[in-house]
Amino acid sequence: MKYAIIGDEDTVLGFGIVGVSGKVAHNTDEAHSAFQTLLEDKETAVIIITERIADMIRPLVNTYLFTVGFPLIVEIPDRHGTKADRPGIKEMVHGAIGIKL
Amino acid sequence: MAQLNLAPTKTNLIRLKNDLNFARQGYELLDQKRNILIIELMSLIDQAADHQSRLEDALAKAYHALEEAALDMGRLKVQYLTGAVHIKTDITVRARRVMGISLPVIETEFEEHAPYFSPLGTSFWIDSSLYFFKEALKLLGKTSELKISIMRLANEVKKTIRKVNALEKIAIPDLQETLHYIQSRLEENERDMFVLMKMVKVNLEKKKAKNPGE
Repeated sequence: MKYAIIGDEDTVLGFGIVGVSGKVAHNTDEAHSAFQTLLEDKETAVIIITERIADMIRPLVNTYLFTVGFPLIVEIPDRHGTKADRPGIKEMVHGAIGIKL
Repeated sequence: MAQLNLAPTKTNLIRLKNDLNFARQGYELLDQKRNILIIELMSLIDQAADHQSRLEDALAKAYHALEEAALDMGRLKVQYLTGAVHIKTDITVRARRVMGISLPVIETEFEEHAPYFSPLGTSFWIDSSLYFFKEALKLLGKTSELKISIMRLANEVKKTIRKVNALEKIAIPDLQETLHYIQSRLEENERDMFVLMKMVKVNLEKKKAKNPGE
């Protein structure tokens, strides 16, 4: 099993150093096709995706994050840092499932 | 609250009593399950928050190092170097079970045979970005594991809460009410029968008194 990454050039380059293969995406279409290709590879266990790209294909990401559950998806901030209004894990749980913690 | 539609008979009474006992047992078990799940969820959320901040730290350092490297040597050369570096990352996904829910456990292993490039003419930042990206990747595995575990647990908690509420607020009160109804009906019947018997007895005695010697 391996990691895979979708992000901008810098992120992909950086993770490329440590042996994570990835796809560069700039717009929604590219993100979509990158995501689909990674899904088809059954060896992919964790998809690393930058927040900006994840926002472009938010519904798709959320289905895999909340309902399907495999491959695992993790969002990371890109080179420009975290977005200010990113929900924390508690809000995420609250938003997706509706239980307050 | 709705009363169940059952004939007020002794059989039904016994059956309902069993049902009520069963429902109460189920309620207790589910309540315990809910509490265990919530405790687990809380600890996971704390861990996740911790890991998230560590991951962000590591990533910031890694990006910084990469940027420095690119500034030092030029992007193209860095790109060439990444081709030279050959680190294989391998992850094993195992499952851990908490109250019958399987949660993933991810372990990241690196297979590397350094050195990959001559230290001459390469920036020091290359090495440090290598190091930091490796750190970040390790944390990433853990973070994704925690996140998915939290989502699954939270889902299960929601289901359990729903079941607990259904038992507590609907099933058990309904059963209790029906039980009460059947019990009082049975008692009422008993009293009716008692009075009837008394009347019969009195009548018989009256008859006996009217025609003695029959």
